[in-house]
Amino acid sequence: MKRIVTLLLVSFFSALQAQNIDPDLLRVKQRLDSIQQFSADLKLDVDINFIHMPTKYAKMNYSQGKPVKFSSTDFVMIPKRGLDFSMNRLFEYAFITVPRGEETRKGVRYKAVNIIPTDKRADFSIALVLLDIPNNRVAETEINTKKDGTYNLILNYEKKTSLLPNLVEVGFEIEKLKIPLNFMGKDTDIDRKKMRAEGMKTGKIFLAISNYLIKHL
Amino acid sequence: MKALIKAEIYKLVRQSKTYYALASLFMIEAIILFSAYFQGKNILDILLDNLKKSFYFEGSLLNGNLLVYLILNTLWFHLPLILMIIVSGTLTTEYKDRTIQTTMLQPVVKWKFILSKYLVAIGFTLLVVLFLALTSFALSYGLFGKGDLIVYINTLNFFEAKDAFLRLLYAFLWGALSMVFFSVASLTIAVIFKEATKTWIVAALFLVISNLLLKVDFGNAVFNQLFFAKLNDTWQSFFYYRIDWATVYLNSILLLAYIGLFMGLGIWLFHKKDIG
Repeated sequence: MKRIVTLLLVSFFSALQAQNIDPDLLRVKQRLDSIQQFSADLKLDVDINFIHMPTKYAKMNYSQGKPVKFSSTDFVMIPKRGLDFSMNRLFEYAFITVPRGEETRKGVRYKAVNIIPTDKRADFSIALVLLDIPNNRVAETEINTKKDGTYNLILNYEKKTSLLPNLVEVGFEIEKLKIPLNFMGKDTDIDRKKMRAEGMKTGKIFLAISNYLIKHL
Repeated sequence: MKALIKAEIYKLVRQSKTYYALASLFMIEAIILFSAYFQGKNILDILLDNLKKSFYFEGSLLNGNLLVYLILNTLWFHLPLILMIIVSGTLTTEYKDRTIQTTMLQPVVKWKFILSKYLVAIGFTLLVVLFLALTSFALSYGLFGKGDLIVYINTLNFFEAKDAFLRLLYAFLWGALSMVFFSVASLTIAVIFKEATKTWIVAALFLVISNLLLKVDFGNAVFNQLFFAKLNDTWQSFFYYRIDWATVYLNSILLLAYIGLFMGLGIWLFHKKDIG
């Protein structure tokens, strides 16, 4: 008898949970979950007004359930949230979704869904996901992290059937530092609080991804 | 003239203080390199602090190029000090040992004699900078390898290893011109003061004041551009993301003019004064 009650309760709560998750988002998640691993070549261009950096190249390797690995022959800056194409970190802990109607980008209409984590361990407080329903994939995300500000990802795909993007625009917030011109000698002792007086700036990174090697489950 | 230059080179090569100076410069360079390695970690931490929140970093910025850049930052104060002591010493020693009087008893034209000293001083300065450039690159690349260079000048500038090497090379070239200026100035000071200690004190004062005035804004754009003390920082121009070549050329011409002016003044004074 106890087993039956437990089973009923589990089924009830599972059903309740399922009701709180958008079915279109679930379909996209299932499609992304089918990727076991992939590797790709990256081309990175930084657009931050106080940083000058030439175009950088790197290689990325993703395996499901593991952090993305990067390798490069020279120095590269990889945006922390910009390369989570599999949306692993959004779906890592329990969450509910709230429909937000539709939004239009460049004349194309997308379904807007808010993802709200119900587990305190999640590193974001709320995320907005724009879903490309006909092609069953993510078109844009805006993630409000608990510690690292807001990230905005615009994903562009090569083909209608592509699951992973070939061009990604990552927008983020970043603090501007004021550092003395001559940072040798005594000038090295810097008051960091004073340096942060200018507050937050926004920056962008443009990623071009090519030569995907995808292994599905 | 050739004979005079040869004689000056011979004197410079034969005197033991030349080698003491070279050894001390190499020692200073090694100490700077050692301290720059530890300072480099701190500097990178400061420069990349706010970026760490948003980015993962792949590759190391604590490499030979950063260390050569840090060496340059310190070297341009210590190097002229030692150069000024050696270069001015080539004349003050002659006054002290009275060898100048012996030389002047020979059929030697006074202005040619002092000009040969200036020319040898310039050649010696260029050789020392070449020696320091070679050892800086060899030590830094040998111990810490190559890699991207990060420099903060109004903006955070990243340079790829090849580009960084070229910019550091330009900085050494321009630094050499700046060092020639200080060497020439010290010889002119030696012409005026004759006595070694007085010359060294005034030469050191000249260097310190030049360095202090470098950071002073005189509130006049033309004066800020033309004043000699303001020119010695031009080597930093090579670490802006886009090099302002027009300013580099203008400053080079101006510094060459100052070198000519100091040299001319020294030759004129030496020619006019009695050897006594």
